[in-house]
Amino acid sequence: MSSGTENDQFYSFDESDSSSIELYESHNTSEFTIHGLVFPKLISVTSQDSEFDINEDEDGVDTIYEGMLDAPLTKNNKRILCEGSVPNLSYECLTTKGIFERMLQRVDHLQPIFAIPSADILILLQHYDWNEERLLEVWTEKMDELLVELGLSTTANIKKDNDYNSHFREVEFKNDFTCIICCDKKDTETFALECGHEYCINCYRHYIKDKLHEGNIITCMDCSLALKNEDIDKVMGHPSSSKLMDSSIKSFVQKHNRNYKWCPFADCKSIVHLRDTSSLPEYTRLHYSPFVKCNSFHRFCFNCGFEVHSPADCKITTAWVKKARKESEILNWVLSHTKECPKCSVNIEKNGGCNHMVCSSCKYEFCWICEGPWAPHGKNFFQCTMYKNNEDNKSKNPQDANKTLKKYTFYYRLFNEHEVSAKLDWNLGQTLGTKVHALQERIGISWIDGQFLSESLKVLNEGRTVLKWSFAVAYYSDASHNLTKIFVDNQMLLANAVESLSELLQIKTPEVIMKRRPEFYNKAGYVENRTTALMECGRELLCKGICKAAE
Amino acid sequence: MAVEEGGCVTKRLQNELLQLLSSTTESISAFPVDDNDLTYWVGYITGPKDTPYSGLKFKVSLKFPQNYPFHPPMIKFLSPMWHPNVDKSGNICLDILKEKWSAVYNVETILLSLQSLLGEPNNRSPLNAVAAELWDADMEEYRKKVLACYEEIDDY
Repeated sequence: MSSGTENDQFYSFDESDSSSIELYESHNTSEFTIHGLVFPKLISVTSQDSEFDINEDEDGVDTIYEGMLDAPLTKNNKRILCEGSVPNLSYECLTTKGIFERMLQRVDHLQPIFAIPSADILILLQHYDWNEERLLEVWTEKMDELLVELGLSTTANIKKDNDYNSHFREVEFKNDFTCIICCDKKDTETFALECGHEYCINCYRHYIKDKLHEGNIITCMDCSLALKNEDIDKVMGHPSSSKLMDSSIKSFVQKHNRNYKWCPFADCKSIVHLRDTSSLPEYTRLHYSPFVKCNSFHRFCFNCGFEVHSPADCKITTAWVKKARKESEILNWVLSHTKECPKCSVNIEKNGGCNHMVCSSCKYEFCWICEGPWAPHGKNFFQCTMYKNNEDNKSKNPQDANKTLKKYTFYYRLFNEHEVSAKLDWNLGQTLGTKVHALQERIGISWIDGQFLSESLKVLNEGRTVLKWSFAVAYYSDASHNLTKIFVDNQMLLANAVESLSELLQIKTPEVIMKRRPEFYNKAGYVENRTTALMECGRELLCKGICKAAE
Repeated sequence: MAVEEGGCVTKRLQNELLQLLSSTTESISAFPVDDNDLTYWVGYITGPKDTPYSGLKFKVSLKFPQNYPFHPPMIKFLSPMWHPNVDKSGNICLDILKEKWSAVYNVETILLSLQSLLGEPNNRSPLNAVAAELWDADMEEYRKKVLACYEEIDDY
């Protein structure tokens, strides 16, 4: 109980801070005035999202080069809490297929310059990681050497007999052929390049199959002569070279991960290409994060790969996630809110910090931690040995360890509760389509008029996400600082606003929804304002060093 | 008509064994330890003339994976070996046993490559740094180290 009281202070309104709070709120209120109209438009507030929208304009230069494009820079119009501002990120969203199509376009574009088959240019570009400048440079210097080096030409003097030439790079049937790879003598199809190294089709397929996943140029088994994509398709009997291209592109993305990132969401195959990385250090300095959005509308941080994590920056986010993983075993255990009575299986909700439980149904007394009977635990402030052992293992000073665990448990529980609520809100979104459809059917409003529900849900989701990560910021902040207390008050305001909007979205009757439409606008606008205020307050904590991850 | 991987490796290794038995090269030899298990061999290498290993014999093990010859065998020195590219456990750093492997290589070419490695170490990526230094600095001392490390093969 005492720990509960202690923690409640974080959420209590302190009279002595009222003037600071009023000043801060007044500052924000002047920026986001809500009009008293009956059907007001939802106020368009500058948010993180608008900065990172994908550019609609197509650039004239069609290339995936690093730093080849001049990114259009637009200054951030938001109020600045400290020196400097960050430009909008210039990025695009691609798929491996999209990248491959772009590669083929470049090959076609370069073909007149190189005057060699397109399939050969593809191999040259693959070798130089699609760095056209570098390739052209080397090509100018040592054209013939390059072709030999990459296995596109041979110095061997091969007869130019037409009939003889036609046998190369084709699958042929041979009788009594002895393959030196499998040492089998049989009637079989075989394959060979101009080098004359001939092997049975099964061995060649086995070899190519292994190589397709490496993303490298595939050569003859006995020399450096290269197989082209059409050769691969001939040997395998179906279009397999696309698999090689996929592997090559994945390898490319891996090598250039300063500019290319896979979308981290499960099963999403999008790649975000950041054209100009020069502004990233400024994001880090000002404790902003470079959030991007893929073609499937997944938003994530380009820097650390996590979901959108405002107001936490990447450093706080990484530290928090690392800590969460480390503590998860204890916390998943400690944070269980309800358990069945070991005796009669009635659900019991735990209240307070005491582990001595009494089932209200059958009066059985047991330990909350180990669910064993309470009698052997005795009295005199005895703690369950399981819990105690965990504490002993954590630190040499049990008292400090216990204090740390309690603080972290408090913030993790809040973080987790909003994560759970966000999932419930997501389920809520599934029913919105039904509601909008019902609105159209029964009341006859247009699709556009029903959009306020979707907009409200979007605002709610963003508010929940910011609120969730704000507890990570609070955890790493100096609790005694005034600004931290203001931050905590902002958390409370946003939490209340979010719950209020969530409650409104539970309404089922279409007629009631339409009647209360002004409330949707008002509450969504308020959530948006409080979300922005919390983000800015959190960023100020970071910029001033009040919030920092301990190393 | 797909060839089973196991079948491929067996036929290949049988063929290699026949070739080795009929080979006239005296400085290398190899054969399976167990007549019923073709995937584990031991090999023997004689140190090349005019090198610090001249006159010495070394024993190696060869473990063939089921996807041999598309992947290289695992080879280790069983005899104690003092060499820049061999570590204390007998592991060997040699490019043709790793990224430069090709299915056309076989036991004979591997053992001949190891033999060449004895006379021409790759000092740019040593597993035994002291040996790499001595090779360039003091061949007499290097030879002493080799002999101090050497053990006669008792089952040859």
